[in-house]
Amino acid sequence: MSASWISPPTRTELIENLVSGVDRYNPSNVGILEDYLYHQIRSQEYDCLANLAILKLYQFNSDLYNPDVVVNILIKALGASPLPDFNLCISLLDERSPNATLDEPDPLPALLPVLHGLHHLLYRCRFPAFWRAYRSDQLESLRDNYTVECAGFEDSIREVVIRAVKSTFTRIGTDRLGLYLDLDSPEELQAYVDKLGWTFNSEGTVVSIPPNPDNQIEAVVVQESIKLPQLTKVISQAARP
Amino acid sequence: MSRPTLWSTADMDEDLADAVDAELSLYAQQGQNPAIYDQLGAQIEQLEPLLAIQQHMAALAAVPDVVKSFIVSFHQAILNRDLPSITIFYTTTFPKLTDRFYSRTEWPEPEIIAPLLSSNEATEDQIHIFLVLYRDLYYRHVYSRLHPNIDDRFHSYENSCELFNYLLNSPSSADDNSDEPAPVDLVLPEQWLWDIIDEFIYQFQVFCSWRSKVKSKTGDELMMLADGTGVWSSYSVLNVLYSLIQKSKINEFIVALKEEQGKEGARSAEEVAKSISPYTALPLYRTLGYFSVLGLLRVHVLLGDFTLALKVMDQVGEFLLGGSGFGAKANKSSFTALPTLPATHISTHYYVGFCYMMLRRYPDAIRTFVTVLNFSQRMQRMRNYSGYERKDQYDQIAKTADRTLALYAMCHSLVLPGSPFTRLDDNITSTAKERYGDQMGRMSKGGSDALAAFEELFLYACPKFINANSPPYDDPDAIALLLSADPTEPAEGSPIPTDPTQRHLRLFLASAGAQSPLPTLRSFLHLYTSLTTEKLSSFLDLAKVSESDQETVEEAEEEAIQEMMVLKQNSRSLSRIVPAQGRSEKGNEASPAGLTVIGTLLEGEMISTSDLNFVIDDNTIHIAESTVGRRYAGWFIKNTERSQRVLDEIRGSPLPVFKGKVGQKQGAPGTVALGAESVATNDSAEAAQKKAPTKTVAWGGAGTRTTLDA
Repeated sequence: MSASWISPPTRTELIENLVSGVDRYNPSNVGILEDYLYHQIRSQEYDCLANLAILKLYQFNSDLYNPDVVVNILIKALGASPLPDFNLCISLLDERSPNATLDEPDPLPALLPVLHGLHHLLYRCRFPAFWRAYRSDQLESLRDNYTVECAGFEDSIREVVIRAVKSTFTRIGTDRLGLYLDLDSPEELQAYVDKLGWTFNSEGTVVSIPPNPDNQIEAVVVQESIKLPQLTKVISQAARP
Repeated sequence: MSRPTLWSTADMDEDLADAVDAELSLYAQQGQNPAIYDQLGAQIEQLEPLLAIQQHMAALAAVPDVVKSFIVSFHQAILNRDLPSITIFYTTTFPKLTDRFYSRTEWPEPEIIAPLLSSNEATEDQIHIFLVLYRDLYYRHVYSRLHPNIDDRFHSYENSCELFNYLLNSPSSADDNSDEPAPVDLVLPEQWLWDIIDEFIYQFQVFCSWRSKVKSKTGDELMMLADGTGVWSSYSVLNVLYSLIQKSKINEFIVALKEEQGKEGARSAEEVAKSISPYTALPLYRTLGYFSVLGLLRVHVLLGDFTLALKVMDQVGEFLLGGSGFGAKANKSSFTALPTLPATHISTHYYVGFCYMMLRRYPDAIRTFVTVLNFSQRMQRMRNYSGYERKDQYDQIAKTADRTLALYAMCHSLVLPGSPFTRLDDNITSTAKERYGDQMGRMSKGGSDALAAFEELFLYACPKFINANSPPYDDPDAIALLLSADPTEPAEGSPIPTDPTQRHLRLFLASAGAQSPLPTLRSFLHLYTSLTTEKLSSFLDLAKVSESDQETVEEAEEEAIQEMMVLKQNSRSLSRIVPAQGRSEKGNEASPAGLTVIGTLLEGEMISTSDLNFVIDDNTIHIAESTVGRRYAGWFIKNTERSQRVLDEIRGSPLPVFKGKVGQKQGAPGTVALGAESVATNDSAEAAQKKAPTKTVAWGGAGTRTTLDA
């Protein structure tokens, strides 16, 4: 999974060269990377390193700074939880001079605490609380201005949920799963669960999750295994006349 | 020209006073305030150039003879490309003279000592480059022992640029009609090259943090900063490092070497280097290029880009510390083509480990720290490590090692108790407990007290983060705004503290804080093989007192389940090193033979970091614990090998001269025991025990030897 994080299969060669080469520092390339971000937003792709390259350019060239891009990057990074992507992005947001020349007031200072809060809820697996916060009136502007544009944002959060549930449960109550996934209507949940290949029990109250390496537990007694190379010294000594 | 009333000798070091006479104090007076001296000098220069020269002459006369002759021989050694002499001058003589004459003042300014050099048969260029190198030492001394003023900061930057420019863009001297740059013919010890890169980044970091403090600047400083926005800019520093890397083609060199490694009749490193470029062929450039990669790692960490920091290490990563691969031990074949300096190892492992910590890859971080802490403990045991007679350098290394130990203590708590990774190296763990026992106790308990301990250690051990950009000194209005801002007033609603260290601290604490209830949770799970979520929540005391209230109970249960998911999430981690046989052998990390290492530093696979595993089946938690069986074979192998070494030693020693009578019979049993031991493998423990008594009798005269050989 890490390989696809370092270099997603959807990344083009042009972007690869920018991300891996010295050209990533060239301010005139910021447009290409920003376009790529909007492409990710439209087509449900995700490329953390390319997005970090944008933030890096902003870090060095404060005149390039575009708060909408930053917010979008952070929104995309939310879906990567529990990987540290969100924190990595925040790490690159340097101090900004107070009178940065922007046409409109900078929305980032107001949105950052909100995004921080959402990320914290996700990282701590407080999924129902996340959905409550996300659907609250205070976050209307975030929804209307940003996440609505981000194709499959809610599904990307659901994937975070699925990752956590899949590794923790063998069976989970249908109501609970619905709450975590924010899928209230039985039909929606049914469709989603079917898509995952998970199964309901006959009463429809419990969902079974197929076995995977993380939800199979076994009390293992680890025995040492001695490999031949460890014995070479001893054997060669023994062979000596 | 000097103003004795203004300067009192009381400022001078008392020890110095013994060694130095009035002549030197004259120099010290001048040297102490170069700003005034410069001003004065500048005025005089305009009026009477002759006077300035006289001044220089007088200052030169004030330089102690030992120092003069040192400078002349140092210059000669560099001209002769006499590496052993340069190394001695650099690592020993210069620090000694510093202690003796310049512990509180600057070394003579380069302009003053310049006349000493012209007497040699050196060309103007050669003198010039010596002065650049000398200035490098001069400023480094100012930074480490004195307080650099703004002129020093600006000039040291200019000098570094001049040095790098000389290395990178010197025109070819062979045929003068081409403008193509060519490598320069200079030989410097590895330690010096490391210091050049290391100091360059250090001065950059110090400048950035000094620059970010707007309020303490004087009017003159504000003006100079407004004019000199390009000085020590992040772009210029990165540019230097990337240029050195590209010029030396160090990454290509390493790739080529790796390809060469498995081949029959492999070319030597020198041959490989020659085939790449004329720059790569010279050790000077290879070394600088390699150190620049490590420097880049550090710069990226300082700027908060932890992924990019690891990414630049793609090629060189696996060759550090004799191919330890940051604890992976994958590449045992030591890689002599790259320089190895203790300072390099310790600093690089510190930064790599820190990156892993910020990426929440605690197992990788722990392995990296353990490798380097073992190394530094060995080093401490041999205090006089060659090249580290210099106390200041040794102290620097010891300090980094201590901060690494603090980071180790933090990661030790973050992988959760009971993880195999807490037992990776008991020796280091006990050292950490000795040093940071109090904090480790608090961190493992969880709660707000734990966060306070994490904060304390983080602030002590973290790198000195910097802001990439300068405050807007070139914009007078903005600066006025910053200057007038009330320091007590918090930045309006900003969730991200402006200070970069605080920003990284908050992020780290948020991650660590999410884990703080987990040790308690785990300790309950430890007691059961299965229990209901309801029961668990009652243990956790989440429901408070009002247990009759059905809703609260359910809420508490839900809370417990969500916390369980956090526990699951935190008992898994990306790791560069995974058990070779797949997941069935979790916890087998202690034996290096069963492990495989995955690619570059950024890569990794998910592994379980905990010996306690659980799964929730609707409302019931099932728990399984992995235990580690006793390990016998390792113990036997170790002791067999040790006994063999002892035996070989005994065999190799000269036979003692016997004075009394020792019967041949006495030798016989010892012979049998020893002979048996060298054959037996499994009975080695027994053999080892027998060894102790036989030691004394094994000297059974010539007869023993013949029996053994038979």
